[in-house]
Amino acid sequence: MAILEDPIKEVLELKNYINGEWVKSESDRISDVVNPATGKTIAKVPMSTKKEVNTAVEAAKEAFPDWRRTTPLARVRCLFRLKELLEKNFEELSRVQTIEHGKTIDESRGETRRGIEMVEVATGIPSLMMGYNLEDIAMGIDEYVIYQPLGVCCNIAPFNFPFMVPLWFAPFAVATGNTVVIKPSPRDPISQAKLAELVDEAGFPPGVWNVVHGHKDAVSVLLEHPDIKAVTFVGTTKIGRDIVYKKCGETGKRAIAQCSAKNYMVIMPDCNVRRTIPALMTSFFGNAGQRCLSGANLVIVGDNKFYNEFLDAVVDTTSRIKVGYGLDEATQMGPMQSIDGKERVLGYIEKGIKEGAKIRLDGRGPNVIGDYPHTCFLNPTIFENVTPDMTIAKEEIFGPVMSIMRAKDLNEAIEMANGSNLGNAHAIFTSSGKDAKEFQYRIQSGNVGINIGIVAPMAFFPFGGMKDSFFGVLHGQGRDAIRFFTESKVVIQRWF
Amino acid sequence: MELNTASETINFAVKLENDSAKFYENVAQRYAEGREVFRSFAVENKRNRTLVGRAYYEVISDALEACFSFEGLNTDDYLIETELIEDTSYSDMLRMAIEIEDRIQRFYLDAAERSKSLMADVPRAFERVAKKRSERKLKLRSLLKEE
Repeated sequence: MAILEDPIKEVLELKNYINGEWVKSESDRISDVVNPATGKTIAKVPMSTKKEVNTAVEAAKEAFPDWRRTTPLARVRCLFRLKELLEKNFEELSRVQTIEHGKTIDESRGETRRGIEMVEVATGIPSLMMGYNLEDIAMGIDEYVIYQPLGVCCNIAPFNFPFMVPLWFAPFAVATGNTVVIKPSPRDPISQAKLAELVDEAGFPPGVWNVVHGHKDAVSVLLEHPDIKAVTFVGTTKIGRDIVYKKCGETGKRAIAQCSAKNYMVIMPDCNVRRTIPALMTSFFGNAGQRCLSGANLVIVGDNKFYNEFLDAVVDTTSRIKVGYGLDEATQMGPMQSIDGKERVLGYIEKGIKEGAKIRLDGRGPNVIGDYPHTCFLNPTIFENVTPDMTIAKEEIFGPVMSIMRAKDLNEAIEMANGSNLGNAHAIFTSSGKDAKEFQYRIQSGNVGINIGIVAPMAFFPFGGMKDSFFGVLHGQGRDAIRFFTESKVVIQRWF
Repeated sequence: MELNTASETINFAVKLENDSAKFYENVAQRYAEGREVFRSFAVENKRNRTLVGRAYYEVISDALEACFSFEGLNTDDYLIETELIEDTSYSDMLRMAIEIEDRIQRFYLDAAERSKSLMADVPRAFERVAKKRSERKLKLRSLLKEE
C-alpha cells in the first residue's frame, strides 16, 4: 500500500490575491478547510468582507484598460508561461486537490490535466478571437465584425472540482482581454490559492487575475456589483437559476449557470458488457458521485435474463471497489467532500428505502482501507426496482448511489430520461449504430454519451447542458467561451 | 499485491523498468561479453519509463476510467529476480535476463489488454514496450546460443 506524501505540512492561512498581492483578510469569520479523509484541518480560509470583495473588483476594473490594450500575443504568452508552471507543479497541484476534496490521486491528476488543457486551448486566442468581414456589402462599403472584451468577469466556483472549474472560464476570459475575479468554494479553496501563486509567477499584470475567498455574502457582492460584466457559476439549480441567473438578469450581466443533473445511463442488451462496466464504475462512483456528469439512474433494457446477468455483474464489480484515502494509490473511491454531503446522501438512501426501492448494495456502513475516521466515507450503494416517480430517481443525490430502473425498449428508456427536468449528460451503451443515432437525436441532454460514462467535453468544445441543468445562452469552453467573454461589434465603413 | 488503479500500475511499470535497468547496469560491469548490449538495455529502460509515464500523465483525464481499468493484475505474477549471486555464470545470467524480459513483457501485455478500451495512449505505450521486450528476448537468446 503506497501512500503518497502530503504536500501540505502545516495549516495554511489563506489570503486573498488582489492586484498582484497577497492580502490578509480583515474578516473575523474564518472557516476551517478539512481533509475529509483524515479529518484534519489543513487550512484556514477567510470569509472576506464586502469591502475586500469590492477591492478585488476595483483592482480588476483598473487593470482592464491596459490588459485589453495588451496584444493578444502578449496576453497568451502569460498563458504559455502559466502552462509551463502548471506542468512543473502538476503533482503538487493534484495532491492538493486530493487532500482538500478527497478524490483519488488518479482523479486529481485527471482534473489537473483537464485544467491545463483549458489553458492550452486559450493560448490559441490570436486565431480564435478573429472577427470576419465582407467587402462591398454595398458599392464601396465594407462591413466587419470585431470581438472586444467585456471588462471584469467573475467565477463562482463549486467544491467538486476545485482546481478545474475556474479554468473552464478564466483562461478564455483573460486571453480575450478581460480581467477576472475568482471566488473559490470555501470548502476546498487551496487549489485556487496555489493556482494564483503560479499566475503570479507567470507574470500576469497586477489586477488581471484576482482571487477572493468567501461564501454567500461574497457571491451577493459580486452579483450586485455594477462593474462585473459577466458571471460564470457551477453549482445547484436552486442557486444557479433562482439566484445567480435571476440576479444577472436584473443587473444586466452575462451569465453561464451550469447547474444540477440527474443523468440517465441507458444499457441496451447488445452493449459490450466487459467494456461498459468500468465506464459505469467511473460514471457512478468516480469522484464519489459528486459531479454533474455522474451517472445517477441506470436504465436496463432487455429481458429478465439479460437484466439479471448485467445487474449481477454491476453489483459484483461495485462491491469490490476499494474505498479509502485518495493519496493511497490503491484507492478507487475517496470520501465525500464533507459531512454535510454524506448526511445528504444518507437521507436520500433512507428516502429510497421508504419509497419502496430495494437496496441491493448498502454502502452506509463504510468499509475503508486504512485507519481513517469514517466521518465522510461512504461505500457505493445500489438500489433496484426504482421507478421514475421516486425521489431518488428525480432529485440529484450527488453521491455514490446508483438507481436501477428497467425499460422494455429504447423508446421507453428515452421517454424516462426526457421526463426529467434536468438534462446534463445522458448516455447510451449499445453496439447498434441505429439505436445510438436514435438516442442522440431524441434525448434532451446538453452532453450525450455513446458508450461513454462521463460525457465531459474537451476544452475546445462547449460544455453543454439543457433544461434545468443550464441557464444562459452561450456555454463554457471552446468557441462558446470566446463569444461569451467578448462583445461583437459590427463596423460598416466607407471612405469619401 | 493487486493493482487496481492507473496510478498503481504506472508506478509498478516504473519499478520494473528501474529494477531491470539496475540489473543490466550490474551485468554490464560484471561481464565483458555483451557489455554494450546490456548498457543499451539499461538506457532503453529509462526511455521506456519516460514513455509510459508520459502516456499516463498527458492522457489522464477526470473522465476516463483510471481508477477502474486494471482489475485483475497482481504484482506477484510479475516480480523479477535481479540479484546475481557471486558465481553466476554468464549463461545463467542470460537465462535470468530472458526470464526478466519474459515477465516484464507479460506484465505490459496484460496491462495493455485491461486498459485497451479506456485510455488508448496508455495501452499503446504498454504494447510498444512489450514489443521491445520481445526483441530483447531474441537478442538474449542469440547471445545464449553463441555461448
